[in-house]
Amino acid sequence: MTVQSTNRTTTANPEAALEPPPGTRPGFQGPGLLRSSLLRLAVRRLLTAIPVVWGVTFLGFTVLNLLPGDAAQALLGADATPQEVAKLSRQLHLDQPFFTRYWNWLTGALSGHLGSSLGSGQQVTTILAQRLPVTFELLLFAFVISLLIAIPVATFAARKPGGIFDSITTFIALVGLSIAPYILALLLILLFAVNLSWFPALGWTPISGGLGSNLRSLTLPALSLGFPIGCFYTRLLRADVLEQLEEDYVTTAHAKGLAGWRVLMRHATPNSLFGLITVVALNVGTLLGGTVIVEQIFGLPGIGEELFQAIQTRDFPVVEGIVVVFAVLVVVIGLLADLLYAVLDPRIRYDNPGQ
Amino acid sequence: MTIPVSNEAAAAAITAAGASRVRASRARGRLRQSLALYLPAGLLVLIIAACFLYPLVGNVSPPVGGSVLNAGLPAGTPGFPLGTDASGNDIFSRLLYGGRVSLEVGAATQIIGIVLGGLIGMIAGYSRGILAAVLMRVLDVLIAFPSLVLALAIAEGLGPGELHVIWALSFYSVPAFARLARAATLRLRDQNFMLAASMSGTPRWRIVLFHLAPNLLPQQLTFALLGAGVAIIQEGALSFLSLGVPPPGASWGNMIASGMQTMSVRPSLVLLPCLALLITVAALNLMGDALRARWSAR
Amino acid sequence: MTGAGAAAGPGPAAASVAAAGAGIASPPGPTGPTVLEVRDLSVRFRPRGRDEVRAVSGLSYSVPAGRTVAIIGESGSGKTASSRAIMGLLPRSAQVSGSVTLSGTELIGLSPRSLRRYRGQDVAMIFQDPARSLNPTMKVGPQIAEAVRAHQKVSRAAARERAIELFQLVRLSAPAQRYNEYPHQLSGGMRQRVMIAMALSCSPKLLIADEATTALDVTTQARIMRLLTELQEQLGMAILMISHDLGLAACYADEVVVMYAGRTVERAPVRELFRNVRMPYTSALLGAVPRLDRAAHTPLPVVQGRPPDLSADLAGCPFAPRCPRAGEKCADRQPPFAEHKPGHWYACWYPLPDGPDAADGSDGPDREGQR
Repeated sequence: MTVQSTNRTTTANPEAALEPPPGTRPGFQGPGLLRSSLLRLAVRRLLTAIPVVWGVTFLGFTVLNLLPGDAAQALLGADATPQEVAKLSRQLHLDQPFFTRYWNWLTGALSGHLGSSLGSGQQVTTILAQRLPVTFELLLFAFVISLLIAIPVATFAARKPGGIFDSITTFIALVGLSIAPYILALLLILLFAVNLSWFPALGWTPISGGLGSNLRSLTLPALSLGFPIGCFYTRLLRADVLEQLEEDYVTTAHAKGLAGWRVLMRHATPNSLFGLITVVALNVGTLLGGTVIVEQIFGLPGIGEELFQAIQTRDFPVVEGIVVVFAVLVVVIGLLADLLYAVLDPRIRYDNPGQ
Repeated sequence: MTIPVSNEAAAAAITAAGASRVRASRARGRLRQSLALYLPAGLLVLIIAACFLYPLVGNVSPPVGGSVLNAGLPAGTPGFPLGTDASGNDIFSRLLYGGRVSLEVGAATQIIGIVLGGLIGMIAGYSRGILAAVLMRVLDVLIAFPSLVLALAIAEGLGPGELHVIWALSFYSVPAFARLARAATLRLRDQNFMLAASMSGTPRWRIVLFHLAPNLLPQQLTFALLGAGVAIIQEGALSFLSLGVPPPGASWGNMIASGMQTMSVRPSLVLLPCLALLITVAALNLMGDALRARWSAR
Repeated sequence: MTGAGAAAGPGPAAASVAAAGAGIASPPGPTGPTVLEVRDLSVRFRPRGRDEVRAVSGLSYSVPAGRTVAIIGESGSGKTASSRAIMGLLPRSAQVSGSVTLSGTELIGLSPRSLRRYRGQDVAMIFQDPARSLNPTMKVGPQIAEAVRAHQKVSRAAARERAIELFQLVRLSAPAQRYNEYPHQLSGGMRQRVMIAMALSCSPKLLIADEATTALDVTTQARIMRLLTELQEQLGMAILMISHDLGLAACYADEVVVMYAGRTVERAPVRELFRNVRMPYTSALLGAVPRLDRAAHTPLPVVQGRPPDLSADLAGCPFAPRCPRAGEKCADRQPPFAEHKPGHWYACWYPLPDGPDAADGSDGPDREGQR
């Protein structure tokens, strides 16, 4: 008595209809398939990202070149003679036509050479390597702060929507996300560094100088960046958790007799985090933009500060290099978010029909 | 047969008194919703009136051209309600005139964004084929491009000045609105009313302008409120970096920048423009949020 | 309704349906102790800023151990709200009054914490759409284990064993492997079995099946219902079946409670209901069941109109605007829900006469219901 499909069952063996036809048994497919489907996803996204990154570099180069003002002039100062300016221009290849310069840059970039700074002569890659870790640590710290704010507050507020905690935190969150990072930075400096002297107002201590001071020197800057965006995440997450609480599986969880907090933390909030992942990826650009001023205010030797100076001195290679870094960062984080989705959401991971 | 009622409150709800309680709670809900919208809106109107109208009617000292002899006066000095800064300019007046800059920049960037960005987005969403694909790629690039770099570069290149700030910031608002408009257009494109319009022979430009645009407008207006807040913050940032309104012109951003130097001795020079920025942007955000809640509830 | 013969129509056909299912439903006999006793249950919703909605008014019935009571009604009749009220799963805008006793313990008015001890342990519920009722990002096994550990202090390993045991109980194939699978990897029937396993995890006295088979195809539906019946015999639990499907009730229920607009309109043991239906609404429901002995392409009789707005005050019988037998009294005074015959309750001023034995069909409104 063979069971070919779910349609042809005999009354003697009705249970067999529950068995999927041989060869298509769902279930754990094993790590091999998992890796390859993730890999395919990654490759697909990378391929679509490459033209975007290229477009960004091209746009950057164009904008920079359209800027009035001569780099050589800016470097030498106002009282340089035209001959000196011309000579420097030729030295720095600034007199070549636009597309030649772009092509040179592009080919150089693809082989890993981003050129050298027009001002200091340093390799752009060196400059980036020096400054990236600072900005990176700042961003990471800010990100952790934002999550530490968003997840507990949103979960707690969703327990009693409209309640006191919820109303207060909603208001604070709305005001909080209205504070520009640099404003918060100044207010924090006024409060903590000037009046209370808990944290330094300026400067950055590398990890080599002790993890404690390193973190202390980054606390106020990270707070300035992390708090406003944390408020933003709080509002989003709260709305998402509330939506999840309306879902049927939450009713089932309650019907099982689970405590309210367990339903929240084990069922509703984890499923809401997916939406948060997308938002975080989309907001990387905002965070990066915030670093420019925050690093200025706190005197942190990061990429943002370098960018500002480079634009002022028309230091093309450096600016271009930073633009590339920013664009790549945004794209990579977007890709990571997609991959994280695929890893965390079993519906995407085990992509096979259940019938 | 007696009716065992263990919930007294439920029994009360059945009576007439209970009915009026229902009416009261309904009214309270509506009141809260209205408050959430009209309070920040009122605050915003107050700020606008203060910045634009008050100097015309009130007795406000000029924001620039102060004499160094008057430098560093404390708050409460007659003629200078909030004191003067290092150059002898009236702080109160500078706050008001700085507010003008911020509000103008906010409004202008959003209007440019809605008109230009909305148009581009609608075309990108509504057209099919090569035009749509190209526009989509271009928008993606513009959005991926760190807007701050763009704004900095443009501001740097054009030189300081309010108008240049508006241009620079529009490079951010236009793609943002375009993305919003495109997403909304894609959602609305296949709705019945759109299909009906195109089947009745309406030319495409009319469909976009008279059928599509009005449906996008509420969402865009809400976004504009929030975007104005962002633009005001960015203007502050640019002025802070000396790329915006140049001193001695008043802008909240450059007030903060110059105030930073003497922050430990005279914190009010920094606090006041910071607070002004915070309150204005918060009002915009609260209002935008209330509008969004109201319109999505429909 | 289609005419004079219509009142007599549903009788014999439905009775034969009931007879066919008689082998499956529990045999008549002395009933066990009452597990669930609902008396005059009322549920009112007061959503923010809107009118109060009376979802359930004055619902009364009881479910003995080992028996199945079906609550039948269309959408909006209040059947789901009443079952949620029993479980305490209503939103905060709901106000519940009346009495619901589970083996003697009053559930209305209990604190949420105390109620939680009964939920899942003494009374369990399975829902309509198993695809949405299971957490999509959690394996099914741990979801059962969670239910076990919510009420019993056992180790994770023990809970896992129990979960696999339960999978065997509900006749899920390859139970050990199922433990580690995700909901989307299972078919609809398998998912509903998982839900049943979850509900049975603590051997509840009462199982509430809220449209449990509506989302399944007919074959699977039959299997699931048969599983439930077998489990009922095995475990001696009471089942409260919520459905809109009278045919289902005919096969599997011992007693049927018919709801309309939040109120009970008829209640009787299943055989009695189908033989001697009284309430015109119930009769209309019966008439809407497609039957094999009618000619092909016979249009199903449809009752005109829609159920009343539950936020408005209802005077008189709620079915009056649509009832073909409605008379003057019906619009003004609500007929009392009373036990006109032993075991057979209904609320109607002009009830239908006795079943297939009655010679005349529906009469005019002047005649009171005949006995």
